[in-house]
Amino acid sequence: MAKKLMKGCEAIAEAAIQAGCRYFFGYPITPQNDIPEYMSRRMPQVGGCFLQAESELAAINMVYGAGGAGARAMTSSSSPGISLKQEGISTCAAAEVPCVIVNMMRGGPGLGNIQASQGDYFQAVKGGGHGDYRCVVYAPSSIQETCDLMPRAFDTADKYRTPVIILADGLIGQMMEPVELKMNPNPTMPEKPWACQGWDPKGDRPRAVINSLYIETEVLDDLMTRLNARYDEIRKNEIMVETYKTEGAEFILCAYGTVARVCKAAVRILEEQGIKCGLVRPITLWPFPTQAVHDAIAQESVQGALTVEISNGQMVEDIRLAVNGEKPVEFMGKGGSIIPTAEEIAERVMKIMRRA
Amino acid sequence: MKQYWVLLGSFGSGKSELVLNLALEKAKEGPCTVVDLDVINPYFRVSERGDVLEPAGVELIMPPFALDKIEILSLSPRVYSAFNPGEGSVFFDIGGDDIGSVALGQYRPRFDAIPRENLHVLFVVNPLRPTAADPESARATLDKIQYVSRMEVNGIVNNANLAGETQVEHLVQGYELVRELSRQTGIPVWGSCGTAPVLESFKQYAARHGLDQAYVGRYQPIEVMMHRSWDKFLKEGL
Repeated sequence: MAKKLMKGCEAIAEAAIQAGCRYFFGYPITPQNDIPEYMSRRMPQVGGCFLQAESELAAINMVYGAGGAGARAMTSSSSPGISLKQEGISTCAAAEVPCVIVNMMRGGPGLGNIQASQGDYFQAVKGGGHGDYRCVVYAPSSIQETCDLMPRAFDTADKYRTPVIILADGLIGQMMEPVELKMNPNPTMPEKPWACQGWDPKGDRPRAVINSLYIETEVLDDLMTRLNARYDEIRKNEIMVETYKTEGAEFILCAYGTVARVCKAAVRILEEQGIKCGLVRPITLWPFPTQAVHDAIAQESVQGALTVEISNGQMVEDIRLAVNGEKPVEFMGKGGSIIPTAEEIAERVMKIMRRA
Repeated sequence: MKQYWVLLGSFGSGKSELVLNLALEKAKEGPCTVVDLDVINPYFRVSERGDVLEPAGVELIMPPFALDKIEILSLSPRVYSAFNPGEGSVFFDIGGDDIGSVALGQYRPRFDAIPRENLHVLFVVNPLRPTAADPESARATLDKIQYVSRMEVNGIVNNANLAGETQVEHLVQGYELVRELSRQTGIPVWGSCGTAPVLESFKQYAARHGLDQAYVGRYQPIEVMMHRSWDKFLKEGL
């Protein structure tokens, strides 16, 4: 398909449909309203189902139902709404129900504001809901990348039978960019023999059961062992990271999502000042690209690193864990949805390097 | 007598950008007011560019919720002041599609009182948006918007663009669309928009291929102001 000018929310919704998503359940909240709005128009055209649920809880539990029946199901929301969905996400993880959850992050905590934020990193990456589970978390930094990640998100969800989160900030949802969507009128779906699709008593398939209640300690432990083995597989196979001008750099910036683009602009400014600065951009926040981050920052030429976020410092903890004290890692960022400018970031780097 | 400009169009057709550019032009000639009547977009709204409008002497009337990071879809009572008699230009930036145009309905009696020659109601078209990709969908949007906004469009604008990746062929694609739309509806084409280099190539293309000037209209240069600051630095993109 030729390039179109699309808003992030619209593009994500269309990319999900092209990835075979036929069930969308949502509830309105800014800045992601354009996703359910788009889905409400498009789903009937492709024989899918759009349903505005009565609440976020209802929406995620509908996803649980559709995903448990083997369909590619998705819900989307923004920070406060994602908080409401956590119980359902935990349930999906425990019941091994594949699904995709889009979070267009806005300012928090509480109702916060409606501008772009990255305050939900901990929630997405470190759990969110109760229990010992993980979600695969993708953090796109452009609308094109978001579209390209959607089929991958659904594939990963199906392959590992796990919830997958697209963690984008409100800007990704609200800005418009040229995108090329890969149209796929007949997306192929993997076989899902475990799905509840009706049981034939005369057939040889055992009954499919979707459940998150495991009363016996050993039975729950079996599940956790199985999930953990799967999480190890995900760590081994699914890490995505972009490194930009990191080789032989004197300084490394770390950022994800929209901020990574501001950081690229900062790299350019610093280049003009004669400073070799690189950028590490995790694309999967879980599994975290620990090795790539370590390798970029711990190299001999590097003096230090700066993590930039639209938060008061969340991913910086994982960056520091990855670097393990081998180089100093500083943090720059603010709550309240204040996005640092490229000039401010460059200035901060120069200060740290004692060049200004 | 004040000149009134109302910009309507599909969601994402580029109305705010055009409002900014036209308002800055008109502000050089006399008093100029921009009224932000967008009740849809939380981000990327004309009110965010108070930093360029106000120094240029443009009065900006924005809804009380804009920039306050809250969502209360109420419109400022100051909007009525834009209809006071006087000189200069008033621009209304409206949210996209028929949903956005709803905001205009309540001002119908005020607009009715304006002589037709002083009221420019433009329908902005960008065929690179999936919702306005062909004459049929553009026509459907136009009909819906006219119905809901209770306004009669009297000019069509070719604002074909793919943001920073716009090429002359996009404007040509837009030309074909607005020509068809104009023929179907009888509404004249007001003009064609683009950044200076793209517009210049389009001008040459139009001369070379004998495009009908009636469907090209005026050449309206656009300086992109609704951008995100990091765009300016990123040559290679992502």
